[in-house]
Parts: sequence; structure tokens; C-alpha cells
Amino acid sequence: MSKMGISTYQSYCGAQIFEAIGLNAGFVEKYFTGTATRIEGIGLAEIAGEAALVHHKAFGDDPVLANALDAGGEYAWRTRGEEHLWTPESIAKLQSATRTNNFATYKEYAKLINEQGQRTKTLRGLFEIRPAGAPVPLDEVEPAKEIVRRFATGAMSLGSISTEAHTTLAIAMNRIGSKSNTGEGGEDPARFKAIKGGEMLSEIIGKNRIASDRELKAGDSLRSRIKQVAAGRFGVTAEYLANADQIQIKMAQGAKPGEGGQLPGHKVSEYIARLRFSVPGVGLISPPPHHDIYSIEDLAQLIHDMKNANPSASISVKLVSEVGVGTVAAGVSKAKADHIVISGFDGGTGASPLSSIKHAGAPWELGLSETQQTLVLNRLRGRVGLQVDGQLKTGRDVLIGALLGADEFGFATAPLVVEGCIMMRKCHLNTCPVGVATQDPELRKKFSGQPEHVVNYFFFVAEELREYMAQMGARKVDELIGRSDLLDTRKGIAHWKARGLDFSRIFYQPAVPPGVARLHAETQDHELGKALDNKLIAKARPALDNKKPVTIESAIGNVNRTVGTMLSHEVAKRYGQAGLPDDTLTVKFKGAAGQSFGAFLARGITFELSGECNDYVGKGLCGGRIVVSPPKESRIAAEDNIIVGNTVLYGATSGEAYFRGVAGERFAVRNSGAVAVVEGLGDHGCEYMTGGMVVVLGRTGRNFAAGMSGGVAYVLDEDGDFEMRCNMAMVALEPVPEEVAALDGADVEPEGHGRVHFNHLGKADAVALRGKIEKHLRYTGSARAQLILDNWARYLPKFVKVMPTDYRRALQEIAEQQARQKEAE
Amino acid sequence: MGKITGFMEFSRLSEESLPVANRLKNYREFVLHLNDEQAQTQGARCMDCGIPFCSSGCPVNNIIPDWNDLVYRGNWQQALEVLHSTNNFPEFTSRICPAPCEAACVLNINEVAVGIKSIEHAIIDKGGENGWVVPQPPKTKTGKKVAVIGSGPAGLAAAQQLARAGHDAVVFEKNSRIGGLLRYGIPDFKLDKRLIDWRMAQLRAEGVEFRTGVFVGKEAPGAGVANDAQKTVAPKELLKNFDAVILAGGSEQPRDLPVPGRELAGVYYALEFLIPQNKEVAGDGKNPISAKGKHVVVIGGGDTGSDCVGTSNRHGAASVTQFEVMPRPPEQENKPLTWPNWPMKLRTSSSHEEGCARDWSVATKEFIGKGGKVTGLKAVRLEWKDGRMQEIPGSEFEIKADLVLLAMGFTNPLQAVLDAFGVAKDARGNARATTDGAGCYRTSVDKVFAAGDMRRGQSLVVWAIREGRQAARAVDEYLMGSSLLPR
Repeated sequence: MSKMGISTYQSYCGAQIFEAIGLNAGFVEKYFTGTATRIEGIGLAEIAGEAALVHHKAFGDDPVLANALDAGGEYAWRTRGEEHLWTPESIAKLQSATRTNNFATYKEYAKLINEQGQRTKTLRGLFEIRPAGAPVPLDEVEPAKEIVRRFATGAMSLGSISTEAHTTLAIAMNRIGSKSNTGEGGEDPARFKAIKGGEMLSEIIGKNRIASDRELKAGDSLRSRIKQVAAGRFGVTAEYLANADQIQIKMAQGAKPGEGGQLPGHKVSEYIARLRFSVPGVGLISPPPHHDIYSIEDLAQLIHDMKNANPSASISVKLVSEVGVGTVAAGVSKAKADHIVISGFDGGTGASPLSSIKHAGAPWELGLSETQQTLVLNRLRGRVGLQVDGQLKTGRDVLIGALLGADEFGFATAPLVVEGCIMMRKCHLNTCPVGVATQDPELRKKFSGQPEHVVNYFFFVAEELREYMAQMGARKVDELIGRSDLLDTRKGIAHWKARGLDFSRIFYQPAVPPGVARLHAETQDHELGKALDNKLIAKARPALDNKKPVTIESAIGNVNRTVGTMLSHEVAKRYGQAGLPDDTLTVKFKGAAGQSFGAFLARGITFELSGECNDYVGKGLCGGRIVVSPPKESRIAAEDNIIVGNTVLYGATSGEAYFRGVAGERFAVRNSGAVAVVEGLGDHGCEYMTGGMVVVLGRTGRNFAAGMSGGVAYVLDEDGDFEMRCNMAMVALEPVPEEVAALDGADVEPEGHGRVHFNHLGKADAVALRGKIEKHLRYTGSARAQLILDNWARYLPKFVKVMPTDYRRALQEIAEQQARQKEAE
Repeated sequence: MGKITGFMEFSRLSEESLPVANRLKNYREFVLHLNDEQAQTQGARCMDCGIPFCSSGCPVNNIIPDWNDLVYRGNWQQALEVLHSTNNFPEFTSRICPAPCEAACVLNINEVAVGIKSIEHAIIDKGGENGWVVPQPPKTKTGKKVAVIGSGPAGLAAAQQLARAGHDAVVFEKNSRIGGLLRYGIPDFKLDKRLIDWRMAQLRAEGVEFRTGVFVGKEAPGAGVANDAQKTVAPKELLKNFDAVILAGGSEQPRDLPVPGRELAGVYYALEFLIPQNKEVAGDGKNPISAKGKHVVVIGGGDTGSDCVGTSNRHGAASVTQFEVMPRPPEQENKPLTWPNWPMKLRTSSSHEEGCARDWSVATKEFIGKGGKVTGLKAVRLEWKDGRMQEIPGSEFEIKADLVLLAMGFTNPLQAVLDAFGVAKDARGNARATTDGAGCYRTSVDKVFAAGDMRRGQSLVVWAIREGRQAARAVDEYLMGSSLLPR
């Protein structure tokens, strides 16, 4: 159930989360009433026949099965086992073709994939393509270098694959004007720099961080044009977003729709942890639910946040193929996404849990056709670019994607194979022997992929597509998008289980007038012109251009959404993560702020709000300071009343926040470096936190610190019952030590966000805590803070320190390592 | 799956060989199999690849990752079972197979391949020592009779599979001992012939009947082909008495070198030298050809050439020189371009180690002699351009030779046998039959099947085993309508 993102049994019952593929409607209606089945297929007789077949094998005289089970071959290729498209032959041919730039060998590879014969491995393998008109000469077909711009590599994070493999894809895609994707692991800012040519990769990324070096050419770029934003929000900073051409919000992953990214602890190296603002050695899981998305409106808000964080980037939403995805896509299109990805089920398998490799997700053919049909029917298709991915391997795959409605095409496994992947399916063990899906420096030395090979591959795919286009009489890819009428069921499929398949619903074209767009043709109006930030940016010019201190005063209302994000984008564009010097720009607001106040607020900017806030305050905070207190004239008891909404500081990476009052639910979820003081919390506080510090001067809700693997929280536990509300699975509670060892002395500054703070190890707890409360008092004038400080000796013992056990382990390891280093020196 | 990090911890340990001086004194095997502990460690190096290229590189598709793992865990008997499930005769392949599996091993991309063959060797030898290899007679007999022509690896594999499926398999062999080239082509120092006898005992117990000294066909074969048949059986008779026939007679016709002087005494086909040698070692009479004190020139750089080199050195040749017409291959292949395929690279056999001068891009122009006996040969150096050879003008040279052995491969099966059955042939003179789909392994003549070198032309023992197994399945299907024999 958890695999499907379902947490309670009640939600599972009758949820109709399954989809039948290849079963006929009569059968499904009788035995799985209400389950969707879209391509018809076999019925009871065939199912019974297959059961009998299996029984016969089990109880027959087959000598092979006498003492052993069937070879299987589902998860690892076996000669006499399950058929696969990636076989020793196809992999060897693809690698050989791209390494020697031999199109003839590539075509042998493509033939193995495209002509599946009786193997019937994919839905598209059962399709036939009809000509659009008389054949045209090949040289009249759109050139390959135009076609490759429609290609992108899949979201494979640095972490899942090695730095070498990740940068090779980026270099290759940038060379041909296509897009590579960061995946959800953040990106080293060093990769945003322009390359002069002649530098070594290690000079840019760091000597000890590259195991297999390469020289870079002038004009190369290591920057991934697509920046992914997943639920984990790993490494999502203003700078990261500012360096995107496209920001991809991952709603789910095609291969494991209910699970999302999983990076086992042994792959989380120091470098990976630094980029993700997490703790080395601690596994990272980012399941699909974004903590700031509970409805389509929330998604619209996130799209708006992202657009503010980078107005020049297109905002993409990654969905998975499933029944009903068309409706979701229509919503996403209305929510102003510029781009939608429909992801199929058969990608990403190497790192998937075994139980997700098979029977999870659905083929992209189904999701893509449904999306295209729904969007065209609702006249929404023109607003969005549509990309398809999921084991695209050849030009024919691309062609079928285009005919079913895709403008763009994502590839992941195939380019990895070109880089040397041989489908070990050991991605989760960190033992990839070709240095692709491992972080082990010894194994990464063996990485031998070259950007040139990846470039060759994409040109081969484009050339193959061109040959198809010439044959079928199409000069431009645009002519083919959405032409599902050119698809037909392949004749003569003899497989007994293929009987009864009916693809007419896949090939259906909605009846709309000729003018209705069936491909990406318009741009969304994100209404950024109305943003309050435009005024702030104008007034902040001296600070932005010359780092001169500026103070602005502004009224604010709840129609002002995502305030400070575009402003931060301006800072990040100019100064990167470093931002402006502290206190350069101060904005004093009065009023009730709308959603996402101070989202991605950059360093050097202080937002002081006298009033209150809606949800998502300080989302993705990266270095800025947010202070919210009730208006001076307010007579409410601040510490007893909500002042900021839900999901505050979600995915914050650095900065500070002081809230004089109580926050809503999901406070500081996935915080990885920000410091916050608040006077009370709703449920699920500090969930999945990996760094930073949270001080709670009041009661928390339930499930505090669930999945918390880093950072610390100090909770004032006046009633002594905090433990009941704390999720103890990953943390330990301890009193704040009274022997205020002024040993280390100073306050813990939030600099070095995400890095492990030594001070968290106990010695200077009280000092740190007191420092934070003093600041809280200074910024907000909190009566609560005043009371605690005035009676420090009485309150200090009531503070409970919430310390993740993994974090303690990591700290100890680092301390030991440093001690060893010192000794060595 | 072996040990997850085994390949990072352990290096490859190759099998030990006895010192050259020791092994040249006799014709016994000199390669020592790994001990249990060594084999287990080597098994730990296997990475249990998601796509085991080794398994597809292996002609019999040995399920290598599985038995590597079983050996690593010390589960030897089960390892042997898995090994036998795809390969009837691991005792042969673990000794004389060139191991394309190891070329295809994923570890071979950037490391040293898992010692697959050495592990196989350890498994089967252990199985032999412990008496784990026992007959598997069929539960029921079908009453169908199948004749298998030829007792090489293809014929033996086919016969064993057929017997296990309940058919009466009768193997016809023109020589006095069973084994074909295993018996007569490969020297004892590479393959101890007692292994063939040991395996034959199992086959017999499973119901296979062997008829030796019986030639099936019309005309007796010529020089270079071993034949001590006492009796000839006509194909017609066979077809009358049997429900099916499998032609598994190998590709025995040696390639000749028709240059001036070929008729001189002292110029022989390799097998004219090797077969009597194997008979001598078996106690069947002395080899009429001796290399003792002679300058030997072996023409042809393949495995048979190597066997000539090793045998000549054991005779006590004064010198051994080996010529190869093709250019000298690179010492190290370009792995990114060759893997997982069998690479062209310089291969030095154990016989080469025992002493031999090797020369490449050499073509023989003429044998020279005195009094009807060869005394030397004239050769010329070649230049290869785009796959075509050209003689280099002025590069002619002479070399002294008292014994010349032609080890240039085999052109095709004995045509007389195929013609006697009247089966259609392919362009190379092999029996024509497909290997996949309906009607595979069937020749143009009803009831007659073909497998091994007789169908595919000269090849490896492991390919012969594969074809024998697959042909047996095809025959079983033909006779019974369906088959449970594994392909």
C-alpha cells in the first residue's frame, strides 16, 4: 500500500488504484468491477489456459524443472528466461555503434528494439505506422540538429549516478542544444560557470571529487538545463533555480509512481550530502507527496513560486502514465505549467526496489494518448509543451511518441548504456563496476563514457526518425505531433495472449475544429507583471547593483503571493548563493501576507512583517531573514495564536526565521539549514529535517521529528509530555546540558548551512539556545522570549533537545576523521 | 550472488601449471584445478550481473552467475547440477574451451574477467571425485530408435539427451574408440582420455549403445581423416532400422596447401601426426611419424597448430617454427570496441610456452626436398591491406624443415558421407539445416538431422555440445510431437 502512496487501510479499500492492461472489459467487469481497462485483451479462457500451463510445468516431467525453479529472468536476464529489450546483443550493438560512430551498427541495434516480432515487449511494438503521404526525399526532412533539440535526458540525480556520468550527460546535451536534467539531487554551483576550454573537469568540481577526469572544450557547459524540484527539495536554492532553463516539478516517477526517489545511505557521500544539504551516510527518500501540495491549487501556487524564482525558465510538471492522467494534465495546464512530462512505467528500474520493477505504473502510450486527447478536447494543448519518457530507445519510439502527441522526448537508460551502463541492476548497492551508478571513487575511476558517444547516440536516433519521416512523407516533426490516425495495430501478431487487443481508444482523435492546437503553440500568462516584487526590485536597485543598504516600507495583502522570490532571483542571478552582505536590504511590510511570503529569500534580505502570514512562509529559504510579529497595537496573546500558516520553511536551506506566535502544521519540514524560533507548532513539525535548528518556545503538535535525520530542535516542554507527541523512530531526546560550557563560546551562526555543526554535539547547546532566544526577542519583541530569558535558570532544564541518532553518528564520524587528520599532520 | 564486493577485494587467480621441463616428459595433463577455497574466492568475484553477458557469450548458455554463487557458498553439488543443466560435458569444456564467456564477462570491460573456466573445472573435477555424476536413465522408454553418426561432442551430447528422453540411441563411430576429435585430435596433455571413458560409462548406463569400427556411407575417407572401420553400413539400411538419424560426423576434411613439393615425404596434415600419437598414448601402436631431432614447421596458427607444437616438443624436436598467414594480432584488444565479443588478440597457448618460434604474415610458396624427402620450405612475407593480402616483393626466404605439419583448418565434412545420405548442402559443403524455429536441425532428407561441425563447419567443442543438445530436442519433437528436453 505504501508503494501506492496510501497510508491507511481505509484509503486502500475501494480506492480503485489498479488498472488492467490487456484484459477484456467483460472479464474485468465481472471480476474486478470498476477497474479501468483500456486496450481490451484476454478473458477468462486464456487466463485459465495460462494457469493450466503453469500447473503443467510444475507437475510435469520437465527435466529442467525437476530440481530447480524456472529460470525466471524477470529481474536479471537469463538465456531461457523472460524476454527483455536490453539484451547482451542490443547493449553491445548500441555501445559499439556510438563508440565508433557507426550508423549501420546503430540500425542493427534499432532493429533489435523496433522489430520485436513475437516477443511483443511493448505496446508500441504492436503498432504499425501508416504513411501520411507520398515519400519525400530525405534531404527535405527537418535536419537532425533541429530534431535533437526536442530531446532531453531523464531525471537521474547526482547521487544515483556518479559525478562523472552526470557531467558527461550534461556536457553532451549542452553541446547539441538539448537538455539534461539535474534529477532531484541539487547541483554544484561550480557547474554553472562558463567554460573557457582546456580546463579539466576536476579543476571545476574539485580535485578529490573527480575520479575519472576529462578535458573540457570551449563552449562546454556542465550545467543541467532542467532543474528538478522533487518532494525532498534537495539542494533547491534560489541560485539553483536561477540557473535553470526549465524547472521540473516531479509529482511522481513513472517507474515507481507511489515511491519516488530513494538513495541508499552508502551512496550519500560527503559531496552528495553537501549538495543535498543532508547528512553523509543517511539514506534519502523523497516520496511523491510534496508537503506544499495537497490540491491542484497548491500545485498552481508552486508553479507560481517557481516562475517567480526564475521568470525566464519554463515550468514543467512531471506526471506519470495512469488512468485519469489526462484530467490531471488538464488541471496542470490550467495551473499555468508551461510543460508537462508523461512518464512511463518501464524506466528507472535499476535503482527501484525489486517489488516496483514489475507491475507498477503504466506504459506511456496509454498516459500520453489520454493526455493528448483530454488537452486537445479542452483546448488546453497549445498552452503546454508535452514530453514523454520511459524507455525510449530508438527513432521509432520517438515517432510513436510524436504521433500520440508528444512535442519532446526524454531518454535515460539508453544514454546511460551509451556511457557504459551494462544493466548490472546493482545501482542500489553502490558497486556499479563501470562507474556509472556508484559513488565509490575506486569504481568511478573505471568510468569510460564520453560526451561524444552520447552525442552520436542522439544524432542516430534523430537520423533514424528522419528516415521514417521521409518514408511516410513528413518534412517536419510538427506535422506528425498528435497524428494518432497514422497508427494502426500490427497485423499478424501470433502470440496467443495478444488476441483481442484493441487500440482504438489509444488511436482516437477527438473531434475538434481544425483551428484547435494539437501541439505546443502558445505561452502561459503567469501574471508576473502584477507582482509586488516588481516594485521592490525597482526600489532595491542600489542594493542589487551596488550592495548599498536599502530599507523599503510596503503594505502587503493576501493577494500578494510569492513576495520576495523574484527579488531573490535578482540577487541569485548576480551573486549566487553568497547573496548580499547581511542586512543590505530590509523590507518592512504591514498587513496580512499571501501564500509563499519570502519564498527562497536570499541572503542579505530581511523581511519584517507586522501582521500575519498565510501558508508556505519562507519556503526554500536560502539565506534571508524573515521576522513576523503581530502588529504592535494588537492585543492578542501572541504566543497563543497562530501567526503563520502551514508548511512554513519547507525545504529551507539556510537563513533565519523568527515568528512571534504559533505556526501551523508541517513546520520546517525538510529544513536543511535554516534556523527558526517559533512559539508553538501544529502537527508534523520538523519532519524529514536534515539540518539547521528549530527552537520551539511552546507546545508542538503530534508526530514531531518524524523521519528527522539531521539538525537539532530544542523544544520547551513545560508540561513534560513532549515525548508523547514526538515521533521517536529516528531521534533521541535529551535535556539541554546545564553545564554551560562556555568552552566554545560563541553563538552558532547559520553559516555553513547544511554542514554538520559540531556545536550540535552537546557542549554549547545552552549557549546556542540562549543566543537564538535573545535574537528572537530582539527581532520580534516577544514577551515569551523575555519571560524565558528573565528566568533562564528555571526554563533551561525544561528544554528538550531533539537529536537525530543518524546525525549524532555522522558527527562522531566526522570528529573522528578530523582527529585522525590532525594526528596525521 | 557471489560476494557483493568480491570483485573489488580479490584478484583473479589462474590455474597453476606444472613447469615446462616436467610436463614435456610425458603426455599427461599439467593444469591443476583450483582447490576448494581458491575456487570459492574466485566465485566471490562474480558480480551477478543484471545482464550476465557471460551466459550469452557461452554457446551452451551456462548459467554462470548461479554456479559461481553456489561455489562461493560452498554448495558444490548444486553447482554441479546447475552446470550440468546446460552442459553435458563440463569435463571437456573446462579443459579445452577457449572460454568466450570470460571474454564477455562484465568484469573484463575494465578488469580481469572472472575465472569462469577454472571454476567450472573445479566443480566438475570435484563432482567426479565425489561420485556425484551418476546415470540419469529415463523413467520410461519410448521404443523409438535413433542413430547418431559420429561420437564427437555433438554426437555424444545428442545421444545422451535422446537416451534421457527415453529413446534408444545408437552411436556409430568409424574408429575403434569413442570420442571423435576429443579422442584423436586433442592431445592427452590437454584432455585426459580417461575422462571420455568415464563419461561413456554414464551414457551407457543411461542406455546409449556404441558401435565402433563402423563406417556409415559408401567410400572410405582419404588421408588426414582417422578411420579404422572394419565394417561399412549403408545409409539406406540405417534409415530402415531407425526412426531418425543425426549426422554428427564433424568437419574432417583438412585444408590442403597445394604448392610445389606438397608430395614430398615429411609433409603431412596435422591429424596424420596427431591421431597416431593419441593412439600411441592409448596403447594402440606406435606413431609412424616422429619429430625427434627434427626441424619442425607447423603451418597454421590455430589450436591444431598448437597441438602439433606441443606434441613435437614432447617428441624432442630440434626446433619448432609456426607460421601464420594472418598478421600478428595486437597483444591487447581494444576492449571498448570488442567487448563482449571474442576479440582478435595475440593468444599464447601452453604449447607455445613450451618452446616455439612464431611468425605471422607468412605464406608458403614451395616445399623443397632431396630424394623425395622434405628439407625445407620457401616462404614469402605478406602485407595485409583492407583485408587483402599482398606478397612483399623481395621478402622470400627459405627455412630448414624435416617435418612440415599442415594445420590450416578443415574445409568441410566428408562429402562422401553427406552424399551417401543425399542431404542438401550449403555453399561451404556443410549439411544444410537451420537451428531455430520449426524444422530446425532437419536436413533435406526425411528422418535425417544434422548437428555440430557437420552442419556448421569447423568450430568449438562447446558449439558441438550445443548443437547436439538442440538437435536431440528437435528429434524428440519430431518423434513425439513435443519435447521437454532443454534447448
